[in-house]
Amino acid sequence: MSIRIVKLTKRFGSLEAVKDVSLEINTGEFFTLLGPSGCGKTTLLRSIAGFNQPEAGEIYFGDKRIDKTSAHKRGIGMVFQNYAVFPHLTVYDNVAYGLKARRVPAPEIGPKVEKALQMVRLGGMEDRLPNQLSGGQLQRVAIARALVIEPQVFLMDEPLSNLDAKLRVEMRSEIRELQRQMKITTIYVTHDQEEALSISDRIAVMNLGVVEQVGKPWEIYNTPVNRFVVGFIGTTNFFEGEWASQEGLVKVGGILMKVGGGSRPKGEQVAFAIRPEAFKVAEQIPAEERPRMFGLEGKIAKVEYLGFMTKYDLELSPGLNAKMVSYDVLPRNLRKEGELLEIFYDPQRVLVY
Amino acid sequence: MKSSFWSLTTILIFIVFVFFMIIPIISLFTGSFQTEEGGRFTLDNFTNFVKYPSYWRSFSHSIIIGLISAIGAILVGVPLGFMVARWNVIGKPLIITLSTLPLMLPTFIAAFAWIILLGRGGIITKYLETVGIQIGSIYGYPGMILVFVSQLYSYVFLMTLSGFGSVDESLEEASRSLGANPIKTFIKVSFPLVLPSILSGALLTFMSAIENFGVPMVIAQQTPNLVVKAYVEFTSEVSKHPGMAYTLSVVLIFITMASLIIQRYYLSKRNFIQAARGKPAVKQLTPGKRIAASAVIYAVLIITLIPFFVAFVLSFMEMRGPVFYPKFSLQSYIYAFERSARPIFNTYFLATVATVVSVLIGVPTGYILTRRKSIYSNMLDIIIMLPFVIAGTILGIALITFFNSGWIVLTGTWMILALSYVIRKMPFIARSSASILYQLDPSLDEASISLGVSPMKTFYKVTFRLMMAGIVSGAILSWVTIISELSSTIVLQTPGWSTMTVEMYQGIISDDLGKAAAFSSIMIISTIIPLLFVTKYFSKEQTPLL
Repeated sequence: MSIRIVKLTKRFGSLEAVKDVSLEINTGEFFTLLGPSGCGKTTLLRSIAGFNQPEAGEIYFGDKRIDKTSAHKRGIGMVFQNYAVFPHLTVYDNVAYGLKARRVPAPEIGPKVEKALQMVRLGGMEDRLPNQLSGGQLQRVAIARALVIEPQVFLMDEPLSNLDAKLRVEMRSEIRELQRQMKITTIYVTHDQEEALSISDRIAVMNLGVVEQVGKPWEIYNTPVNRFVVGFIGTTNFFEGEWASQEGLVKVGGILMKVGGGSRPKGEQVAFAIRPEAFKVAEQIPAEERPRMFGLEGKIAKVEYLGFMTKYDLELSPGLNAKMVSYDVLPRNLRKEGELLEIFYDPQRVLVY
Repeated sequence: MKSSFWSLTTILIFIVFVFFMIIPIISLFTGSFQTEEGGRFTLDNFTNFVKYPSYWRSFSHSIIIGLISAIGAILVGVPLGFMVARWNVIGKPLIITLSTLPLMLPTFIAAFAWIILLGRGGIITKYLETVGIQIGSIYGYPGMILVFVSQLYSYVFLMTLSGFGSVDESLEEASRSLGANPIKTFIKVSFPLVLPSILSGALLTFMSAIENFGVPMVIAQQTPNLVVKAYVEFTSEVSKHPGMAYTLSVVLIFITMASLIIQRYYLSKRNFIQAARGKPAVKQLTPGKRIAASAVIYAVLIITLIPFFVAFVLSFMEMRGPVFYPKFSLQSYIYAFERSARPIFNTYFLATVATVVSVLIGVPTGYILTRRKSIYSNMLDIIIMLPFVIAGTILGIALITFFNSGWIVLTGTWMILALSYVIRKMPFIARSSASILYQLDPSLDEASISLGVSPMKTFYKVTFRLMMAGIVSGAILSWVTIISELSSTIVLQTPGWSTMTVEMYQGIISDDLGKAAAFSSIMIISTIIPLLFVTKYFSKEQTPLL
């Protein structure tokens, strides 16, 4: 089931939580709404679910317009941030709830519930009450309950945010696995960019009620379309300066930096960004790439050793700092604070705005 | 569409309240500014209020008694609350159950029993006279304060208990780590955090004391408070100033309203107790201290419960005139059942009808207050506060006057009694439903809807089921308190629709003490059994007392 959202606007009083948003989600796609809290991602999801009534715009499931349809008739499966497992019902009855509401014949309910519980690895827990389950188990019940009704559309509202970090990573790959097996169109809401990048077919980055960019995870990361997306996804070094007279060079805080992709008149202001991992030390660069690289020198202001990688904070000139990361974990290659370090980057990988 | 069901319900509840409560009360206000004959505007009633000592004294009696009772309740309730919250005293669940009993039982039974013990011809008074000790008269202030403090201290006790039980432990630990000793920590940290709870409890004591009708009527006829004075003015045929009943009512409403607003204003800036991480540790006392502390607590509980015990015992004694003889007899009960079987039936009938109606209106109201927020629900929130600040007697006067004529005549029927009970108890049901709903995650409803169940069916299958236990215990508590209602019943009852409380009250003032004792016992039993049921089956539920 494909989903099409056309010029959707949802207001709360004078606040426009979702502004004129249009999206197309393909059948079977895992689509993520990503953004900081208050960006409108949950509001948009709830509009799709039917828990709020948008002021303008249309929502289609396939060819059918559904934005005026009552929530309980939309045929969605939804997983909530705080699980929303019915505390007065057993695990079995929770999962059977939607089947009963759909008047599935009684003999078919049992096998379907069993299958759904097996799928989320909760076999044998049928008679437990929710207060006897852990957070991870509750989330599995919620997922089984939403999927057992074989919904056309699967909606998840920050389903992992109440779990601890390790469980979160496990659950997200399980969710991805289930979604692939069932080939169900899924919309997933999260504020966690790592989660979004790892789980999604495509991502819509939202901010202040509008969609800033839609794309595959690597597109979002490598070719962010504006400063918000660059800043929100991953860590970034921002630079501001003015074009120098020489081709492709920008004067930033007393030094010159090369920026690819064409020059502008001298003196014009320019802002650009370089990812920390784009900076490299000389020995990490393959020979054939060397000619393209542009070199800088910085003094190491801070070293943060994280085991699998090391973060360096470099002072390029007084008042101008840049972060870089190195995955070279050999002890002999570790640098100390105060040392001078020569670093290189590919001007083509600089993101200019 | 889907919200129209609730919009309609909101409007309906509005109409019920506006028509059956607000308009009658407004007519009370307009009545206080009108001349008796022509209904012209006048300030005479208010000038009379200031001019005649008998009127303004009733005002000062109300205020003084209310304040002293509140202070007394703090002096008893706070130490007790602290001890039960923080020390390992013996039998905490029992202490809490016993402490709620006085709030549920009619205060004027206590007044009656204390007279039998300490009154002019009282059992203890006489005994002390034989050994040469004279105790002063308990009629008037001393008796009222004794009754109010011993019956109402629990408001402060229970609030303090939950306050001290929910102060975030890490705040106290932070204070200790910064070098404050335990006493200083208590004074500087724990106490200020609990103070809003204590004052809320004290306000409830103050309001209950000044809205009380039975106690001053039984024990302090010489120092009538505003409620009694309004009742006397209203019922007396020969009153010099008939409009005064309205004026006195208005003055009382003004006091209660003002104290509530002051409290709300104070609390709005001091909502400290929110997200306690760790509950404070209970201090393990040495066995000697533990027994001493427990003894103090049980001594207080026994003093507060003695009146009910006395009434219970007396009901099984032989009566000759107003004097009891220490001999077992069922005479009082036989007499009560023979002569007053109807009031017993009336009491249970009215309480049951009013409770059912209160639940039917109160639960959806609670739902609207929490889940259908709008300007209308905010207005509803304010409206359902009103019954808390209007004394039963005053509401009775307003209803009987307003429904005496006009489109709907209810005066003289049982329905007006039921109406007044519904107005007074429905807000309680609505509040307790709302507080349950606040704890229920709205996404439970949404989960059900997303699974294909319509909103109305969801309310029944999920929300209502989860609220069930709370609703049942709230309904039982309402039923129990309706049974012991006297203040509005005394105004609204008519021949044929008398209740147990009315019979009991008349028994007390006409020295028919056997009948009063028998009815007291029936009421005590009718209160305790449902309460035990609630404690046994719903002990997990936090049932707010107000």
